[in-house]
Amino acid sequence: MLRIRWSLICPAHPPFGKKQLPSIPKNAVPITKAASPASSTESANGTHASYGPFYLEYSLLAEFTLVIKQRLPGIYVQPSYRSTLMWFGVIFIRHGLYQDGVFKFTVYIPDNFPDGDCPRVIFDTPVFHPLVDSVSGELDVRRAFTKWRRNHNHIWQVLMYARTIFYKINTMDPLNPEAVVLYDKDFQLFKSKVVDSVKLCNSHLFDQPKIDDPFAISFSPWNPAVHEEAKDKMFAYKRLHKDYNKGPLVSGLSWVKPGSTQPFSKEDIPLQT
Amino acid sequence: MSWLSRLNPRGPGTRTGRHAAPTSPCTADPETCLMVFENHWRQVSRVLKQRESSVGGYADDLTAVRNHTDQMLCLLAEERPAGGDIDSPVGPILKMVVAENILDELVQWHVRRGLDPDSQLELLKLFEMLIGQSHQPLLLHSAVLQPLLNLLGACVDPQLGSPPALESSLVLLLNQVCVCMAKETAVLELIFRCGLVQQGPTNLLIFSLLVPFIHRDGSLGQQARDALLLVMATSASNHSVARHIAENSYFCPVLATGLSALYSSLPRKIEVRGDDWHALRREDWMAVSSLVLFMNSLEFCNAVVQVAHPLVRCQLLDYLHNGFLVPVMGPALHKSSVDEMIASTAYLDLFLRSITETSLLKTFLRFILLHRHDNDTILDTLLTRISSNSRLCMVSLSLFKTLLSLNCEDLMLQLVLRYLLPCTHVMLSQRRAVRETDLYGKSADKFLSLIPECCRITPAPSSERDDEPAFWGKVLGSPTSESPVHPRPSTPSRLALFIRQQSSGGQAIPPSSGSENAPSSPRGSVSSPLSPDSPVHQLPDTSEGETGYLEYLRDARKGIELCSWACRDWSAPYDGENPSPNSAPPPPPPPTSHPSLNMVQEHFSIMDRPQQRGAVVAAARAEWSSSDRDSGEWDVTISKNCISLTPRSKKRSLLSSSIPLQSSSSASVSTEMTGAVETVSQHSHSAPHTALYNGMGQVELTDSVDEKMEVKKVKRDSDVNNSMVESGMNGSMGIGSVDYNDFHVGSTMKSSQVQVKPHLQHQTSVPTSTQECLESESQRLSPVPALTETSTVPCDSRGPESVERLIEELLERAPSEPLTGDSKCQGISIEAFHQELRELEERVRERRVLSRSSEESSREYRTAPTPSLTDEDCLPVEIEQRSSETKPESYATGVFSPARPLGPPLAQPYTGPFITVLFSKLESMMQNSLYVNILLTGVVFQLACYPQPLLRSFLLNTNMVFQPSVKSLIQVLGSVKNRIEAFAATHEDFPAMLRKARRFLVARGKLDWSDSPIGVPTLRRSDSLIKSRKPSLGDLILRHTNSPTRARHAAQLALAHVRDGGQSLHSALFRGGAAGGASGLEKQAEALRVKNAVYCAVIFSEFLKELAALAQEHSVALPFPPSQGAEE
Repeated sequence: MLRIRWSLICPAHPPFGKKQLPSIPKNAVPITKAASPASSTESANGTHASYGPFYLEYSLLAEFTLVIKQRLPGIYVQPSYRSTLMWFGVIFIRHGLYQDGVFKFTVYIPDNFPDGDCPRVIFDTPVFHPLVDSVSGELDVRRAFTKWRRNHNHIWQVLMYARTIFYKINTMDPLNPEAVVLYDKDFQLFKSKVVDSVKLCNSHLFDQPKIDDPFAISFSPWNPAVHEEAKDKMFAYKRLHKDYNKGPLVSGLSWVKPGSTQPFSKEDIPLQT
Repeated sequence: MSWLSRLNPRGPGTRTGRHAAPTSPCTADPETCLMVFENHWRQVSRVLKQRESSVGGYADDLTAVRNHTDQMLCLLAEERPAGGDIDSPVGPILKMVVAENILDELVQWHVRRGLDPDSQLELLKLFEMLIGQSHQPLLLHSAVLQPLLNLLGACVDPQLGSPPALESSLVLLLNQVCVCMAKETAVLELIFRCGLVQQGPTNLLIFSLLVPFIHRDGSLGQQARDALLLVMATSASNHSVARHIAENSYFCPVLATGLSALYSSLPRKIEVRGDDWHALRREDWMAVSSLVLFMNSLEFCNAVVQVAHPLVRCQLLDYLHNGFLVPVMGPALHKSSVDEMIASTAYLDLFLRSITETSLLKTFLRFILLHRHDNDTILDTLLTRISSNSRLCMVSLSLFKTLLSLNCEDLMLQLVLRYLLPCTHVMLSQRRAVRETDLYGKSADKFLSLIPECCRITPAPSSERDDEPAFWGKVLGSPTSESPVHPRPSTPSRLALFIRQQSSGGQAIPPSSGSENAPSSPRGSVSSPLSPDSPVHQLPDTSEGETGYLEYLRDARKGIELCSWACRDWSAPYDGENPSPNSAPPPPPPPTSHPSLNMVQEHFSIMDRPQQRGAVVAAARAEWSSSDRDSGEWDVTISKNCISLTPRSKKRSLLSSSIPLQSSSSASVSTEMTGAVETVSQHSHSAPHTALYNGMGQVELTDSVDEKMEVKKVKRDSDVNNSMVESGMNGSMGIGSVDYNDFHVGSTMKSSQVQVKPHLQHQTSVPTSTQECLESESQRLSPVPALTETSTVPCDSRGPESVERLIEELLERAPSEPLTGDSKCQGISIEAFHQELRELEERVRERRVLSRSSEESSREYRTAPTPSLTDEDCLPVEIEQRSSETKPESYATGVFSPARPLGPPLAQPYTGPFITVLFSKLESMMQNSLYVNILLTGVVFQLACYPQPLLRSFLLNTNMVFQPSVKSLIQVLGSVKNRIEAFAATHEDFPAMLRKARRFLVARGKLDWSDSPIGVPTLRRSDSLIKSRKPSLGDLILRHTNSPTRARHAAQLALAHVRDGGQSLHSALFRGGAAGGASGLEKQAEALRVKNAVYCAVIFSEFLKELAALAQEHSVALPFPPSQGAEE
């Protein structure tokens, strides 16, 4: 729930500061428009070409729904406004080597999802980490998802994985050899590099989002005028739809005692029949 | 609270001027007023005192007193409370009235002198004026209240009575008193105490005076009800008053039994033209006075339940249940004539739609779900009606739509969920899949793939465009052309979908359709997480399917959200684990006690021309063999305790060896099963069934199933599978109690039971007296004799002895009637017949097997040990046992014990009568009328909105593998698809007809939209509107209360029509007159058949889109958290 609300609020933030937009990492995937209907249909679901876009869209929506249901600790994502194939995210690391790190990232989902490769995760600022490319900021996702298997692999697992790497350091087959060398040989230096990296990331926290998108996640310093109300709303939030309060009948009826499967087993007011 | 808010404004102001009150001296200062008042009082008291000395009355006296009293009371009414003095803000006049007890003296004088109606009326009016207009809370003073009660007491006096002329004044006065009471709660207490002192505790005066008017019509009844309601609301927090009302007044019994009386005066037959009528709308009943009366009283009950003290509420509900529902509604719903069934069902539907109070609704639902009338619950009875002929079917479908829209757990439990709870309908290995959603649109894709090729419509050539829709209407006898009086379609607004359907296509729409997009805008408000640039939004003007589909997605989302919000406080998620399949009590067995359920629809149909029949039978056969059920050759596998039907020629040995393990364990062994065994059963099963049902790769299936189970991947070619099975068998499952008998039913039992019986006897060693045996088994197996009759009694051999009885029989025991042989529904009748035979056989065998195994396996559980049971005796015994047998504990210990066969006696998986009847109705979509199909698909749509995984997976997950005997929605739809395609192939002009049908529906949908924007009718229609409708519907809904001849006549017509081969009773009634000879009728029947088929093709395609949209939306729906504690 919290995540959804988060994502609802974020886009509303007025961008703070007028800093220069950082350049997009060199080999970041260019933002493509959503897959053209033709290509996605072929790959995805075959028979009914005209409905193809719906399948892709709904597959991604379903994945997003799964993410929400998982309630991943410290991870927030939000699909882009322009394409559901691109999700913005942020991870909060709460303990361990990377404690206090706040890492923004972007998830790129192949347009032939779920039949293609695994999604890519690219950190906005390359975190100093054995599995993160020091230049592009790309996380080595493939090692965990060698072959993307529909039904078995889900995007929430990728997000979970992106979080796990900061708690359990794996030095096998690194994308950042320097980090591994330090980790093995000079742990203190590694640690200080990590601390620097966390600081660096956090210092860019209030930067404009790297990708200009209404739904991109942007941070701003606490401003009671803006945030207090949003926060209150968040905590008081009830997922109610105005439609639902119309008729008293829509409220749903149940007189079944929990644990029972007998109708009218929850008898509060005795009715002598 | 609409009631109360409606009441409050009715204050003093509304009636000013009605009283010819003397020009008010209120502008004068208080002191002058007091002087005038005193002056009047002096005059009056002189007369009063005179009377004390002398006896006998003079008219002069009376007139004088009246005139003075008028003046005095006006002064009193106009007096304003004294300002300044806060402790006693009483005006001087009132002070004097209280001090000298003036009013009491006045009333006493009147009473003493003998209260004639005239002065009684006068006094009532005076008091009413006084109370209504006074600026001071007069009733708080017993000097006012007491005389008032005395006056009222005189009214209640049986000798004086309250003549009709007084009634309105009396009720008005009481109403005023109640309004005061609502304003000043203390008044209630006062009245209550005064009442106790005066009349003793048995009588709360106001009540006993008002109660007789509860059920009056017109404004009088309304005022009385308003007044009573005010008392109810005021006394809601006053326990002693509430107790008094409940214990000492007749309020509740009068209210409830009054409903019964009013119900009995309702029309027993609802006669409405138009094929599409299926439910009473407000404008329908507003013109029928008896119904208006009833609805007013029902509305009042609803309001009382809403505001009254719990004590009163409970009592009222109790009386409603026992005094109205059980003795009146119950029998009414079980009336034997079709007309009465239609009427009572429509009434019940109307009542349910009108009730808003939860506890009142609960009372109704209790009655429907639990009350048994002649051994059947009301629900059972109503269910059977769905399968009946079209008008009754439509009304019943409409009722179930209403019921489904309540989102009531108890109802859904009884209707569907309890049958799905044990999870016996799915393969054991598929249990986990119950909770899976259709992540990648596979199910949606499957549904969409069932849209017949012939229905993927191409734009019409321009030449065809202009003749619509009138031409279409004429040609195919469209409903609009038949019902000039009733131009507005009453079909569900779902029909409006067709507007969208076409609006995107562009070409098929006349240019005037610019406003078409407007209707969808109110629905467009559903917040969509889709970003505007996403593919969905970007859809260019592609084929018409897609834009229409987007609307379906919206509707589906709305439906699901609404439903899951409404279900958020249910006691369990119904996801296959909670409630646990093992703990669920066994659902009732298949509907052997309801032969009509299974059979009415297939057999209750219309005689057809022989020549047609031949062709159709052939078609049906072909269709049967080509349907999803594969070759029609089935293997029946019998082991000690389970029977399985499996398609023949597919890995037979494999199947026969594995199925027993599978199904016998599926009920409750799941936890004990080892991984290996699961793998075995899973593989052995998924192979044939995926191929058979879904045509999907096996990889999907196995992948999707046991994600968390650490089962090794196994190559899936059959060799490996075989060996796996064998090793599984020999290794972990070496329980040598499996004892199969393979034999095939299927194609061998083509049409008569005679062929089947030997099989039965031979294979399962049923004693030679199968028939007797079955008959002895109470009514459970009653279809058997019925079936026998079907095959032996020659067609048309019986004349219509008693028409009503015949109709009744048609409905109740359709199969036994020769009249119903085959016909309109021939397409399925043969298939259905086979199916029934097969099911019957299975049941018989199951019983046999069950009884044997239960005898062996559980002697210790036997309550009535019968060691020397004959075979015949076993049957009934077993049934009683079943409930105790299925307890998991009793069974778990014995799972791997070689001494016992596997598992408890298992019921054949059965998905319940509701699903059964809906599916069989769906299967006959081609023969259903347009409106039946619209309602039917609407009900299924609504059912599929429910988010409970058990239900959702059963209906919408096309990847699920069900037990072979369980029919899935996709199978049913597949067979409809085949039939539509077969039909299209034999009709050259199908595309043209289809276009016309679409255009007709679009036009109709528009009409629907324009007439009822969002569908909520205004609460109270203006009288002019009601009047304007009177000639149309008021005349049409006729009373047949005491007209057996008319009823008989109608029934005869209906029966004649049934013979003639038309589908809809009314279309024949209103159109059939013109047609002369047999050939005309035949032609008509054929036209009707074509019409139904073409409309069906349109509806079917749209329905598939709806289902696909539902499947997709379910995968992205988020559950709602339960609301905390509070109801709302």
